[in-house]
Amino acid sequence: MSNELADIRVFLKLIPPFDLLPDPLLDTVVKEISICYLRKQEDLPPDELSAETLFVLRKGALSYYSADNELLGMFSETDICTLYCHAQTSIDIRLCSNEDTLLYALPYPALQEILHDFPDVIAFFEHSAEQRLHKKMTRVNEAAIISSSLMNTPITHFYHTPVASIDHRSTIQEAAISMTEQGYSCLIILEEDNFIGIVTDKDIRRRCVAEGLSLKQPISDIITKNPTTIDVNSSAYDALMVMTGKHIHHLPVTNQGKLEGMLTVTDLMNYEGQHAVNLTSIIHKATTVNELAKISTMLPKLQIRMAKLGTTADHVGKSISAITMAFTIRLIEMAEKLLGPPPVPYAWLAAGSQARQEQLAHSDQDNALIISDDMKPEDQTWFFDLATFVSDGLAACGFIYCPGDIMATNQRWRQPQKIWHRYFDEWVNTPSSAALLNASIFFDLTTVYGDSSLLENVRYEMLEKTKRSTMFIAHLSKNALRLKPPLGFFRDFVLKHDGENKSVLDLKHNGIAPIVDLARIYALTEGISSTNTITRLQKAAGTRSLTKESAANLIAAYEFISMLRMQNQSMRMQNNKKPNNFLPPKALSKLEREHLKDAFKVIKTMQDVRQSSY
Amino acid sequence: MIFKNLFGYEAKRKRLLKQAHAGALRDFLSVPFPDEKQFFIDTPILSVDFETTGLNAKTDKLLSIGFVDLLANKIPLKTSYHQIVHSKGLLKSDNVTIHQITDSEKDQGEPLRVVVETLLKALTGKVMLVHFARIEREFLQQACIKLYGIAPVFPMIDTLMVAKRRLDARDVSYDPSSLRLSALRTQYQLPEHHAHNALNDAIATAELLMAQVNARQEPNKTNLADLLL
Repeated sequence: MSNELADIRVFLKLIPPFDLLPDPLLDTVVKEISICYLRKQEDLPPDELSAETLFVLRKGALSYYSADNELLGMFSETDICTLYCHAQTSIDIRLCSNEDTLLYALPYPALQEILHDFPDVIAFFEHSAEQRLHKKMTRVNEAAIISSSLMNTPITHFYHTPVASIDHRSTIQEAAISMTEQGYSCLIILEEDNFIGIVTDKDIRRRCVAEGLSLKQPISDIITKNPTTIDVNSSAYDALMVMTGKHIHHLPVTNQGKLEGMLTVTDLMNYEGQHAVNLTSIIHKATTVNELAKISTMLPKLQIRMAKLGTTADHVGKSISAITMAFTIRLIEMAEKLLGPPPVPYAWLAAGSQARQEQLAHSDQDNALIISDDMKPEDQTWFFDLATFVSDGLAACGFIYCPGDIMATNQRWRQPQKIWHRYFDEWVNTPSSAALLNASIFFDLTTVYGDSSLLENVRYEMLEKTKRSTMFIAHLSKNALRLKPPLGFFRDFVLKHDGENKSVLDLKHNGIAPIVDLARIYALTEGISSTNTITRLQKAAGTRSLTKESAANLIAAYEFISMLRMQNQSMRMQNNKKPNNFLPPKALSKLEREHLKDAFKVIKTMQDVRQSSY
Repeated sequence: MIFKNLFGYEAKRKRLLKQAHAGALRDFLSVPFPDEKQFFIDTPILSVDFETTGLNAKTDKLLSIGFVDLLANKIPLKTSYHQIVHSKGLLKSDNVTIHQITDSEKDQGEPLRVVVETLLKALTGKVMLVHFARIEREFLQQACIKLYGIAPVFPMIDTLMVAKRRLDARDVSYDPSSLRLSALRTQYQLPEHHAHNALNDAIATAELLMAQVNARQEPNKTNLADLLL
């Protein structure tokens, strides 16, 4: 009884950002409300437009249109309309009721006055879609840092320095003694104080003892020259991904090219415990496809666990992609053992989401083979057998066959380097939208196994051409604009541009794919060789194709939608349902809907820019 | 007939004005009522609700008053008022469960004179809006007789009668319970409200009238005369 307007206060309290306000202040806000009634098909009265007003929809529905009568969005119960908070900015927008509507009108200047101690709440009303999204993603990323220890922890926390080293002229025995005395499993090899390679106790075992090599031989005979290194500024997570992807346990750390220290997989594993590395090391030890298939059942569990930890979608994508890579590599090793050594150099390629390092558990396999031009016709069988073995193996491990037949088993995608050159020539020089629609996946390619120079050669020439071909970029852009984000939500439906409602949101096609497509276009226009969407956007930031600000907006939108998708999938997997990309709006909180709407707006803005520029 | 009725209101107001002593009631009566030819959208309306201990204005007590303005299709909550009336005697417990006003709250209420004066001041120059007019009319008249010795006159709109007239005009049978405030609100798809609080009911009644007027024709074409009791 103490508060007679409690009904309205309780209603407002359910709506972010009003939920941040203490009850007494909310009561003051409620007192400012004017309850308005709009009959169906009525424009908001002109006197409402001249006053700076914030509306909260109590009951009914409103649509708003641009000056040229394009539907921009809709509001339903509990939605906040900030279009008229600043009278001068919204002259061109028309607001019209679809149903008899009960509105709470709040005079905006009075509201600002009441909430002057709550800048966050005012900011919510004031900020553009982009600003709100940035703020949200900053919070998400902060939470991820807190909840997941390894991520964004610099490797400076882990590596050893100084590094145990030995001169390249020392004998193998001297090296072994040095390692034993110092308790290291790895030594750096120096030549005139320059770092030339690395030797591990495994090398001594495999390259010396097992081969019957004399212990008096110089250590340089069995070292790995020019090993993979990592820059001192990288995160522990990046280091982990390099180790997982390349199957190495020792990573020299460099600072501006100079050796700084040594990082071992044990250092990281002690820190993080059970995770991706464990899984990849088990994968590496598996000897049969059956064993691999058994291990693969752990992949969804890993994803669920990572999602629970608050790991960002970016890092989950990288981990799952690295593990898929480990499965593929192990299968290729098994195949080579079965089929004998390859007749000519080749590389196993991953395409699409795996190549972009954006894979989630249960995705399909997209792969291809690039073979040395020295290949003879009779070598075909060997490569076909390889492709069949690996592809069947991947299928046994839960990576379903690609429905579009983009697989190395398809002869079209199992070709010598010169044919790949020709493919890209055709796609880029004589582009057609239809052909590019199916080919866009090949502009996201990475080497999983084998001679990576085969692909890099092709990629280099391809990028030289894409940079110059405006026709090609135009066709690619046209395709990219086919998938549009929805306008937002209307009640528990997804609101599309034509005013149609859908009961589920397709996160992949209406959110992620449009951004992936845009990032690819920027990369190909600017000759950027990276395939990961966020990396592409980061590298394209500040070029003619993309301003720094727009890049940051797209990254925030991408991270947010990816996060929802990952959480949705993990939730489904946890409930023993098949993961998919469909999200019913009912499952979204009010705030998540607001952020999604903001993300859609960012995508639409960038698509519109693209539309007008090609 | 309605025309005559309103004429009656104004004539009666002038007559009563001469009898009234200086004070709140006289001030109220000294301002003309809104013109019946005025459009709904231009008419100042005060939506009022009383919570009482029963239906008999002579024997039952006024427990609380709530009101809010309705003007130009808008309800500014700044004008809302809610007050518990101080009175003697204990409340029946079955009533307490309905209006949720306890004895201790009632004891802390304002005296009847203060509450009625506040209401008369707010009602000056306006039309009174209620749902089921008998309660508010009889209890307010009774209070005025007690306080000023005169029963005043005031033009009223009753959302129950607005609904009833429409049903009668269609000449179909209907369940009388469909004329309750909450039932009518549901019919017009208005949100559920927390009933039996005087201010909540006053707001709910004002929202209902807006829905009723807007459902029929444009509010700037509806005459006050079409709505008055």
